[in-house]
Amino acid sequence: MQQVWNDIKGLITGRRASKEVAKGRLHLVLAHDRTGLDGAKLQEMRDEITAVIAKYVSIDAEAVDIQIERVSRESTELRVSSPVRNHNTLS
Amino acid sequence: MGKAIVITSGKGGVGKTTSTANIGAALAQQGHSVVLVDADIGLRNLDVVMGLENRIVFHLIDVLKGKCSLQKAVIKDRRIDGLFLLPSSQVDEKDAVNEEQMLHLVTQLKKSYDYVIIDCPAGIEQGFRNAIAGADEAVIVATPEISSIRDADRVAGLLAAADIPTRLIVNRISAAMVKRGDMLSKEDVIDILALDLLGAVPLDDAIIASTNKGVPATLEGTSPAAMAYEVVARRLNGEVVDDVNSNVGFFARIGRAIGLSPAA
Repeated sequence: MQQVWNDIKGLITGRRASKEVAKGRLHLVLAHDRTGLDGAKLQEMRDEITAVIAKYVSIDAEAVDIQIERVSRESTELRVSSPVRNHNTLS
Repeated sequence: MGKAIVITSGKGGVGKTTSTANIGAALAQQGHSVVLVDADIGLRNLDVVMGLENRIVFHLIDVLKGKCSLQKAVIKDRRIDGLFLLPSSQVDEKDAVNEEQMLHLVTQLKKSYDYVIIDCPAGIEQGFRNAIAGADEAVIVATPEISSIRDADRVAGLLAAADIPTRLIVNRISAAMVKRGDMLSKEDVIDILALDLLGAVPLDDAIIASTNKGVPATLEGTSPAAMAYEVVARRLNGEVVDDVNSNVGFFARIGRAIGLSPAA
């Protein structure tokens, strides 16, 4: 009930309760922490994955995005998204 | 044979030592024999929180070095039956201790006391590994703040890897801030950390006053935090107890009492 009220208040005032911000940030931070990958390693992995994809399809290397999301204490999901340039529109 | 419980958190300053003192005092009040072990080598504080700093002659390192017997280093709290403290050293001798020694020490203590409550140092280095070495169970203390929860998650992972069953105390909850949406609720913290809740302790001025005096709040009276720690102690002892500050309504309480609705 409190949650619903806070949501409504947020909609009216345009202000998000700070605890919701905290929750969102924690989910991200914990997902990264749990993989045990530091920033440099993550960058290295991103570069390698980008290279592999680029070998097969035409992509914008800058647009490759890696997202790490915690599913539960036991499992964390790694998602790679990459827009592919359509072959038939290439000149 | 008693049970060894380590109180830990990862982050410093979230209430590990205060929780150790209050849980220990509450367990003793409930009729159990309890020894509190300060495993924070070089930065001892459990003695001052307990108000026993003037009574220390020997400490944990002296015992491990064979300078005195275990019995000689353990101080009896004269205010209440069944409460004892094994103080730490105030000199930095961290490297003087290893996990095997701690395991042996805790095993010895478990023979004489119902509960061995170990106050873990902050961090996840050797001091942490020493403190958890002899523990049968762990309690993670976390405040509803990002940094504390992040560190608690790290520690929870290490304890799971060490096969130590772990429960959570959410400390310093401000009901007013939770209501405003400016503080994570205990439910939020449980949800994020995926740990079982051992207790929720409200933010309470009485804790600071009791630390000033060196008298654990649970020995002093019925402040909200003291009552929460009494619930924690009972749950550690395997009893099923409701939260003190549960905001369950009157009719829900009656329904629960006569078995109409499930206990929260």
